[in-house]
Amino acid sequence: MTALAIPVAPSSPRHLRFTRLVRVEMLKLASTRMTYGLLATSLGLTVFWNALESSQAGKANGPAPLNTYSGLRTIVTGGVWGLILAAVLGVIISSGEFRHQTATATYLGAPHRGRVLAAKTIAGAAGGAVFGLGGYAVACAVGLSFTAAHGYRIAIGGGAFFDWGAGHLVGGALLCAIGVVVGSLVRSQFAAVIGVFVWSIILESLVGSLFKPVRPYLPYTAATTLAGTPLGGSSFGPGRGVTSGVPLPFAAATALLVAITLVGALIAARTTVRRDIT
Amino acid sequence: MATIQVRGLVKRFGAVTAVDGLSFNVQPGTVTGFLGPNGAGKTTTLRMLLGLVAPSAGTAEIDGRAYRDLPEPLHAVGAVLEAASFYPGRTARAHLRIQALAAEADPSRVDDVLELVGLADAGDRRIGGFSLGMRQRLGLATAVIADPEVLILDEPANGLDPEGVRWLRGLLRGFAAEGGTVLVSSHLLAEVAQTVDAVVIIDHGRLVAQGPVAELTASGAGLEDVFFQLTQEASR
Repeated sequence: MTALAIPVAPSSPRHLRFTRLVRVEMLKLASTRMTYGLLATSLGLTVFWNALESSQAGKANGPAPLNTYSGLRTIVTGGVWGLILAAVLGVIISSGEFRHQTATATYLGAPHRGRVLAAKTIAGAAGGAVFGLGGYAVACAVGLSFTAAHGYRIAIGGGAFFDWGAGHLVGGALLCAIGVVVGSLVRSQFAAVIGVFVWSIILESLVGSLFKPVRPYLPYTAATTLAGTPLGGSSFGPGRGVTSGVPLPFAAATALLVAITLVGALIAARTTVRRDIT
Repeated sequence: MATIQVRGLVKRFGAVTAVDGLSFNVQPGTVTGFLGPNGAGKTTTLRMLLGLVAPSAGTAEIDGRAYRDLPEPLHAVGAVLEAASFYPGRTARAHLRIQALAAEADPSRVDDVLELVGLADAGDRRIGGFSLGMRQRLGLATAVIADPEVLILDEPANGLDPEGVRWLRGLLRGFAAEGGTVLVSSHLLAEVAQTVDAVVIIDHGRLVAQGPVAELTASGAGLEDVFFQLTQEASR
C-alpha cells in the first residue's frame, strides 16, 4: 500500500465538515447532466410560453398591451417554469440518491443523515436560485424584445424589475428547497416529480380558484407572487386570471416557504431519512 | 490500527430475524473472509457495521466506535457494497472528485486511485457505460481514496475477470501487510482460501465458526469442505 500512503487529514471542526458537505452536494449538482437538462427545459419553456403570451398581448384573449404596466408585468414575471422546474430539481436531488442507489456512498461519507438533508437543502436552494433568476432573465428578454419591436416605451421602473428579480431568486431557491424535502419524504422519483406538476399546475389552480382566501398561502402561488406574478397570473386552467385577493407581502411569503421547508425537513429527518439503506 | 468488533448483533425485519446475536472480531493486519450461504445475513451485518442499517440489538464498532461516531469515517473505513451504486451520467473522474472532497482527501488522489485500479484510461468515460468489472474497480478506487485503515468489501470479486481477481488479491494482501484491517464477504470459496488469513462463517444470522484458516483446515480438509460441513451442521 505504499502507493496509497498519504497524510491522513486531521478531523475538521464540525462547522467546517458541514461546509464541506454542502460543497459535496453542490459538486454533485454541477456534475449531473439532469441539472443542465432541466435548466435548458425551463428556459426553453419560458421562451416559448412568454413569446406566445407577448404575441397575444393587447388582443381579445391575451394579456394587456405591452405598453402598459400590467401587460409588460404579465410577461416579465411569467418565468414560472423556472420556479416549477426548480422544485423538480429539488425532488431529483434527494430522490435521485435512491433511484441510483447512491445513498449508500453518500451516507458512508456523512453518516449523520440530518446533516446530509440540510446540506442538500442548501445546495438545492442555490441551484433553485439559478433556475429562478434564469427564468426571469429570459422572461425579461422576451418581454422587452417584443416591447422594443413594437416601439413601445418601457412602462415599468427599474425598482420593480429589481424587486421581481429578487423574488424570482428567493422563490426559486425556496421551491427547490421544498422539492428536496418532498423528494426525501417521497422516495419514488417518478411519483414525486409528477406530484410537483400536479400540485403546482392543477391542485393549486383548483384550490386557489375555489377557496380564494387560501390562495396566497399556497406554496407555489406564494413563490410566484414573491416573483411579482399577480395572484392568479401563474395559474393554469380555470384558475388563470382569477386575480382577486391580496398576495402575501415579500417577507411573509418568504417566511411561509421557509416554514414549509423546515417543517417538511423535520418530518423527513424523523421518518423516511432514518430508514435502513438495504 | 483499527479492530472490528461485533457484539450480540441482532437485526429483525418484521417477523424475519436476519442476524441473530452475532459476535466476532477482526484483527488489524489480517484479511478476514466473511462467509455464509445466500441469505445468511452477511450483507445486513456489513451494513449495520457501516451505519446504513440500524441494529435491533447489539453493537458493531470500528476501533471502539460506532461508524456514525467516527470523526472522519472515510479516512477510517473504505467500503464497497454494491457495484451499481453510481450515478450513471457522471464520469469516473467526477465521481472520485466528489468522494475526494467528501473525504477531504487531496484531489491528486483521484488520478492515483484511477491508476491503482487500472481505470486511468477510462477516467473521463461515463459510468453508465462501464462493465460490472469496471464498476467493481471504481468501487475499490472509491474505497481507498482516503487511504483508510479498514476495508469492508461485499463480494468485491463479482464481475472481475481472472486477472482482476488476481489483482484484487494482491491489493488486499498488500493492504493487510501494511497493518490494514480487511473484512471481505465472498461466496467464491476457492478464491477466499487463497486470499484470507482468517474466516468468520455465519448461517441463518448466527456465528458458525471463526478463526484462522490454518486452524480450521488443520485436519487436512480444504476450506470449501470445512465450510459445507459447518453450514450443514448448523442447518440441522
